[in-house]
Amino acid sequence: MIHFISKRLKHSLVLLFMASVVCFTLVVSAPGNVAVLIAELRGAVATPGYVEQVEEEIGLNKPLLMRYVDWLGDAVRGDFGISYRTGQDVSADLANRMLVTGILIAGSAVIATLISLALGFLGAFWPYKLPDRVSRGLALLGASTPTFFVGALMIYAFSVTFQLLPSFGFDGPKSWILPWLTIAVLPAAVLSRVVRVGLEEAMTSPFVLTAKSKGLGRTAILFREALPNITPIFINALGTQVGLMTATAIIVEPLFAWQGVGDYFLAGVRFRDFMVVQACLLIFLTFFIVVNLIVDLAVLLTDPRIRRQWS
Amino acid sequence: MSVNRRTFLQGAAGAIGLAVAQGALSKIVYAQGAAGTLRVAIAKPAGNLDPQSHYAIWAIQDLMFEPLVKYGKGGQIEPCLATDWKIEDGGKTLHLTLRQGVTFQDGTKFDAASCKWNLERWMGLDQFSWMNCSKHFQSLEVIDDHNITLHFKEPVLALMQELSYTRPTRFLSPKSVGADGKFKDPVGTGPWRQISADDTQSVFEHHEGYWGQLPSYERLEAKVIPDARSRVAALRAGEIDLIGGFWIAPLTPEEGKQLEGAGFNVVVDPGNVTLVMAFNPDRAEALRDAQVRKAISIGIDRAAISKVLYHGYAKPAGNMFSGALPYAGTQYDAPVRDTAAASALLEKAGWTGSPIRSKDGKPLTLELVVSPDAVPGSRVIAEVIQSEMKEIGIDLVIRSVDHASKHTDMLEQKYDLGFFLTYGAPYDPFGSIVALCLSTFKNDVEGKLVTDPVNLDPLINAATAASGDQIQPTIQKVYDWLRDNDAIAPLVYVPSIWAHSKRLHGFTSPITEYDMPYDNILLDE
Repeated sequence: MIHFISKRLKHSLVLLFMASVVCFTLVVSAPGNVAVLIAELRGAVATPGYVEQVEEEIGLNKPLLMRYVDWLGDAVRGDFGISYRTGQDVSADLANRMLVTGILIAGSAVIATLISLALGFLGAFWPYKLPDRVSRGLALLGASTPTFFVGALMIYAFSVTFQLLPSFGFDGPKSWILPWLTIAVLPAAVLSRVVRVGLEEAMTSPFVLTAKSKGLGRTAILFREALPNITPIFINALGTQVGLMTATAIIVEPLFAWQGVGDYFLAGVRFRDFMVVQACLLIFLTFFIVVNLIVDLAVLLTDPRIRRQWS
Repeated sequence: MSVNRRTFLQGAAGAIGLAVAQGALSKIVYAQGAAGTLRVAIAKPAGNLDPQSHYAIWAIQDLMFEPLVKYGKGGQIEPCLATDWKIEDGGKTLHLTLRQGVTFQDGTKFDAASCKWNLERWMGLDQFSWMNCSKHFQSLEVIDDHNITLHFKEPVLALMQELSYTRPTRFLSPKSVGADGKFKDPVGTGPWRQISADDTQSVFEHHEGYWGQLPSYERLEAKVIPDARSRVAALRAGEIDLIGGFWIAPLTPEEGKQLEGAGFNVVVDPGNVTLVMAFNPDRAEALRDAQVRKAISIGIDRAAISKVLYHGYAKPAGNMFSGALPYAGTQYDAPVRDTAAASALLEKAGWTGSPIRSKDGKPLTLELVVSPDAVPGSRVIAEVIQSEMKEIGIDLVIRSVDHASKHTDMLEQKYDLGFFLTYGAPYDPFGSIVALCLSTFKNDVEGKLVTDPVNLDPLINAATAASGDQIQPTIQKVYDWLRDNDAIAPLVYVPSIWAHSKRLHGFTSPITEYDMPYDNILLDE
């Protein structure tokens, strides 16, 4: 087990280093000059040579390798520099925003899990009957509707028409419901199919026949026998979906005026704010790697076959 | 637990009851939160409000910080923290009489000493030399508690206009800086004082010791909503009262029309910013011929763009500046589309053939660079113009770039045709004329709309050196030259669009896009 964890940690560190190189290269290779944007932001009319002054001020005139080494050294110490757009400390901004995005993703993951289990079980309990068809239809609809559209529909229904929930803001659990639901729709749809198919497969296994011969009912078999068997597959799929939620957060956070990492990233991209974009990309990738690590550990704990393999 | 019909119905009834109660409660909560509070949408957090820094939303700074003079309707300069002023010595000396009885929001007195402290924070510094009054600043003399005199090395063009800007000219309490002299808290003399601010909203309440009339409502909340659709939804849901302003929370003509259809009040001001098409003859040889430029200009259907793309909110432009600005010059009607005349001009210029004209074997292909980030809606306008140009035999290729690339491309002149926005009040007309049209002024941000060192520069220099009655005729010569040579193609005057809820009355559009329109507003209880 310890061997497994140390091996995975080593892989994660290599991945993180590669991710930092990719983040840096992607951002600096984009066309256009951020110094011009900063000069524009600082005054209606830039003075002669002011752009050059800005370039010097933010270190754009240094060689690329030196810029990368400087940036990585600071990032490792938790210093992501100063935002070109706001003049504020990126690390401090991120610290506040990570909690917001964390609540968004955690809440959405819980909702997606609950919905997917409910739909999956519904289908598995009455296979190829109306509840199964309905759950399959809902899954198809959820998987094929773009997130921004889901969000707009939610706002229109629950905020504009019925005025039940706030359309924007991060102001307590009531304001969290719509963003949670918006993000949860797509993963719930995907996971519900994982549950449904997994349960169907498990129900054809020999141990189910044994359970039936022992006199257990369908509900008991589904919960006690089949569910533990699909847990590793479900955790794997959930991990992937949680990782992808960071990308969805970039769309959903501005939609609901949540000042999270996704919103920060988008504002950074629009302004070519290198410091912000690099920091956010690194955080997204770190999150992805950490989630994968947790998923591997969780699978190890829930699947005795893998435990045996590493013991 | 088994689910039977009875438990199912009980559960469903409970859920419906809960939803109804929640709805009623939320409506009460919204109503309570709204009383006496104006809730305005802002597209991004207010930012660092230091009047001498450049990060904040102008309109938020406008709530707290006041200038010496205000920019009024039609460019009229009105008293604010200065009650009287006198320009002498051919524009090289400015006497100012300061308003008495003014205090900053922290109780500090506004007088000649605090005025001097403020002006010396930016006047004469390199960083602010884009302003003439800073560039030519020589000295400041305190006459007494309420009179100061400013001396300049050279006459300052549009001096009083510059002193009305939002930054860096506005006044900060000398006590609101740290020991190192750096900005600490946003404390000005304005009618609103900041209570709290974070990334989600900025909250303001009355400055009770304000020298002027305070707004009738007690509180103003600027709510951060980055997404345009969400702002519209929030207004429709009754969670905010006001959206609009190019630099505050832009509202597109489509959104304005939607809100109008939904019964909201939409206020449209003709605006004082012009969308202008630039020609780059240095890159596209065809554009060196004035006939080709004229053909393009009259080949564009400005009325259709205004009616369809701006939903009738914009007015077609025939001039570089709208009549709402001072010294805007003689106002001509916008050119009417005339494909026959455009084709004839192209024929005369030697561009013949069909469907795409050519000359000496070269097709008449031009590249139009657009950036919807920098000029909202420009991509669609470009597509309309593309189809109109095709009708007169010009192959227009659209290249869409992001904000940063647009700046780089414009500076490096990597375009044949491009869109520019003039700066609008209070910077214009001189701001745009000098920065965008004078070849000797190095504008390292926008690039140039048009330059001609031989013919245009002397006219601009004469206009900027003129004073008093001489300004109008000299600047008219600049406009005449631009018009006679078809050097630019003004397209539309970009409208200022605002929408507000029914509980808000008396709203009027701000004079400039940099002001927050909080005056005159009355709120229903």
